[in-house]
Amino acid sequence: MKKIIYINVKTLTLCFSILFFLSCAKEDLGDLNNILYVRHKGADMPAYIHGNASEKVFLIILHGGPGGSGLEYRSGSIKNEIEKSCAVVYFDQRGSGMSQGRYSEDGINIDIMAEDVVALVKVIQRKYGADSRFFLMGHSWGGTLGTATLLHGTNQNLFKGWIEVDGGHDLKQLYFENINYFKIVAEEQIAAQNNLAYWNGVSVKINQVDDTQYNERDGDYMNEEAFKAEEILLSDMLLDSPREDFTSFGNTVFRNNPLTTWWSGGNTNGVLSDQGIWENISYTNRLHEITIPSLLLWGKYDMVIPPKMGEDAYDNLGSDEKKFVLFERSGHSPMDNEADKFANEVIGFLDSNK
Amino acid sequence: MKKIGVILLLALSFQGFGQRKMKVEFNKVPTSFWNRTEFKVGYFGNMLWNPGLNGGAEYLIREKVKTKERKKGPKTIIKKTLLNGNFGFYWDPKSHIGTFTNYGILWRRTNPNGKQINVQFNPLGYYRSFLPETYEVSNNRVRKVPLPGRSYFAPSLSVGVGKLRKTSKLTGRYLNLNFMVLTPYNTNILPLVSITYGYRFKIQKNKK
Repeated sequence: MKKIIYINVKTLTLCFSILFFLSCAKEDLGDLNNILYVRHKGADMPAYIHGNASEKVFLIILHGGPGGSGLEYRSGSIKNEIEKSCAVVYFDQRGSGMSQGRYSEDGINIDIMAEDVVALVKVIQRKYGADSRFFLMGHSWGGTLGTATLLHGTNQNLFKGWIEVDGGHDLKQLYFENINYFKIVAEEQIAAQNNLAYWNGVSVKINQVDDTQYNERDGDYMNEEAFKAEEILLSDMLLDSPREDFTSFGNTVFRNNPLTTWWSGGNTNGVLSDQGIWENISYTNRLHEITIPSLLLWGKYDMVIPPKMGEDAYDNLGSDEKKFVLFERSGHSPMDNEADKFANEVIGFLDSNK
Repeated sequence: MKKIGVILLLALSFQGFGQRKMKVEFNKVPTSFWNRTEFKVGYFGNMLWNPGLNGGAEYLIREKVKTKERKKGPKTIIKKTLLNGNFGFYWDPKSHIGTFTNYGILWRRTNPNGKQINVQFNPLGYYRSFLPETYEVSNNRVRKVPLPGRSYFAPSLSVGVGKLRKTSKLTGRYLNLNFMVLTPYNTNILPLVSITYGYRFKIQKNKK
């Protein structure tokens, strides 16, 4: 028994020593692997920074949800291509991922979360120098948060460019666009004789949705159905299959505690939903205030946030330099469906504006 | 249905006949602190793969011995109530180190084969996270935070199994499933699920 304990203790000590040694490795700006926590208004939020920071160009990714996590995005061409051209900052928002802290329900709302993004910029400037340059990218809910960040005060001056990926800059309008787009795609798929049973079913259900005003139950139904619909479209080969890549899964499970991420994210989503984000947030009428270079990337078959939302953003943004790219074979996450094209567009935008 | 009722009645009757005398006695607990106290050390795994270490002590406050006479011989069940204290830490790679200590009560049932069931309730718990490099932003100023991390009230509940060893300083081993709650965490609470596997030992050797 003593021998067993001795061997166990020895093995554990060795493992800890190796792991601590690896985690204390010296920073290499050409291939940065670092984590910084940002403490702001009662929250401690991790920013996982990976990639090439030799030019001090940082691409901050705002995750979806609300309640997702930053490291979900560290896979495929973001990790393998975009990290080669800049440092990518995978940020866990307040109440999401491995963020922790203590604050009341009044201590979390989109305005405070936008302040958190600015706090993150300040922390990176403090760590890597005031000459650091920043691009902001928001996917899905990250598109809502990114837009809110840019519209506040002079925050735009902090960023060289804005990339909205299937983003929710107008959650109020999203409900009605979802209804329209489900009808359009269902009709198209029925005409093409694709998965008739499914699309006929969706067609019936979508006609029962309240299209006069926001209804929470209907909104939840459409959000859930949107992901199912994308699976159906994938099975009909209208979307490109995401490449097998277990990095994102590994990051979620092994670098994040999945129970913590799921629990915190669910709570945060609930708190923000109770504040009425889905029926109240609408920035379309203020998009003309955003004048920095902007890139809008949208999947043609995004059933979660339809491409019409991207077109509206393109029409309303005040930037002189703006581009809308429709990914013909993508759904809500073109970074997964058309990973190479996605990386090319992002890298091209960064190179043109850094 | 009637048949089943009769069979059940017969079975219960036979069980009644089969039962022998049952003796319950409260053992005098040892007076010496070292004889009443067992220490423990083991692996702590937050969500299994966040590795850590766990240690603690258990102080015997009551021991009840229940002896049932059976055909094969007496069957002795030992039930102990102990004061319980734990401390430990785990390492969540690149995210944080969690340390904790908690205090409460432990119930342990040991069967004649030495197999044990443990239930711990530790209402007094404290958890402290240690974070990597952290900067605080307040009023447009950025400052590096010394010893960054957060403290939480952290009560816990554990259930598990173990095995008694009678003739050594090592008095047994245990495998527990732990459920800890950190509160207040963000706007709410945070549950943590973990396992512990380790060994209990006494400073003074048990008598053979």
